[in-house]
Amino acid sequence: MSFFRRTRLFIILIGFIVLVGLIGFSLSDRSNLTVGEEFLKDTVGWLQGVVHRPAEFTSSIFSNIDEIKHTYEENQLLKERLADHKSLLYEIQELKQDNEELRQILDKTESISDYEPIQASVRSQSPEPFFKEVTINKGKQDGVKKNMAVITGQGMVGKIQSAAEFSSTVQLLRGFDGSNRISVTVSQEDKEDESGFVIGYDEEKEALMLKLNSYESEVEEGALVVSSGMGGVFIRGLEIGIVEEVTPDKYGLTQMAYVTPAADVDNMDHVIVVNAADGNQQEEEE
Amino acid sequence: MAKFYLPFFLLLLLVLEGVAVDFLPNSLVTGRWMIAAHWVLLYLVLISIFYDLENTYVSVLYAIVFGLMIDIVYTSVLGVYMFIYPLVVYGIHGLKKLLHTNFLVALVLSALAVALADTGIYIVYSFIGLTELPWQDYFYIRLIPTLLANVLFLLLIYPLTKPKLVKWSTERFNTSGKL
Repeated sequence: MSFFRRTRLFIILIGFIVLVGLIGFSLSDRSNLTVGEEFLKDTVGWLQGVVHRPAEFTSSIFSNIDEIKHTYEENQLLKERLADHKSLLYEIQELKQDNEELRQILDKTESISDYEPIQASVRSQSPEPFFKEVTINKGKQDGVKKNMAVITGQGMVGKIQSAAEFSSTVQLLRGFDGSNRISVTVSQEDKEDESGFVIGYDEEKEALMLKLNSYESEVEEGALVVSSGMGGVFIRGLEIGIVEEVTPDKYGLTQMAYVTPAADVDNMDHVIVVNAADGNQQEEEE
Repeated sequence: MAKFYLPFFLLLLLVLEGVAVDFLPNSLVTGRWMIAAHWVLLYLVLISIFYDLENTYVSVLYAIVFGLMIDIVYTSVLGVYMFIYPLVVYGIHGLKKLLHTNFLVALVLSALAVALADTGIYIVYSFIGLTELPWQDYFYIRLIPTLLANVLFLLLIYPLTKPKLVKWSTERFNTSGKL
């Protein structure tokens, strides 16, 4: 009996060592998943796609009925908007042309706000709430790489945490911690733009924490926060959110702004992976 | 046949865990509550109660395999579920020897397993700095809702799975005798 008890203790001890080893391995800054992990993620991802289809079908029937009800009102509204839209379109075209010409004069054809979109659908959400992660159905084969930004029509939702061959994992904005900062610009209409870093997510306020670079910066509530493209990871001009509240930080040295994310993460089905323009160069090299 | 059925159902539950959020009403998902689905664990507990004999450890073996799979698929930190799930299932396996197996015992043991596993996972994650949620907040925001949601799920799957597990168990262990 004592022999059995000893082996039991021994096994638990070995298990503990394996646990520490594996945690150490996964917390180390690794750039790629192992082959086994990729295979498993792709397989489960594929199965989830199969399960997802009937669920999507039933929920889409209900939303379709809902949409039909509002069609007439929306149509009227859209017609009114359309007129405004056309004049805006001309203006934008002119601005674009202007911009291009000016860039040509400067010999600068590539901008840090150019990107190629990769369309993807959300497949699953991690059942472990401490991980704010979702899985999407595009992977390395479609050109997705680690650290690419992920957006919806409303704004930025997160970045690629890891990419397998046919699926990848997205870390949502509210799962960001101090090690994934986003360099941002706070753009205001009547004042100068301010810069800062998004340093994390405040669970209680349900808002992103934005550390402003200088103490003198004047940021008003309602100002728009967009990525600045300075970090080299994310491109410029991705909408992140709107400033909700500005307070001095706990040491009184800088200012902290709380930003409500623009994108509704809980109800998203389709996302766009932002393939920054310099990705083309890498492909040519390969 | 159980050789194929058990891993198949475990895999199915593992897949469904990730899609489940889509089926739940939005007010539950968007609120402050954190609900973790431990469906694989619940099925493992049922296996250990109704399928395993006193000297077989099928459930513990599956707990290691599927714990690792959950780690890989749903979390970016390997090893945590792989360590906690077998430990808890092994404990349940030991406790079941002392008690008669009926519905009430299964319910209590499952709730105990979910509570232990979730707390264990919280402790490991807060130890490695993945979460800074204080213990009190964790208790109200995550542990209690998780416990309720999983007990509800057990009530759903219990009538479907228990007779099958008992049947497979007699088929498997009466003919071959040993694992």
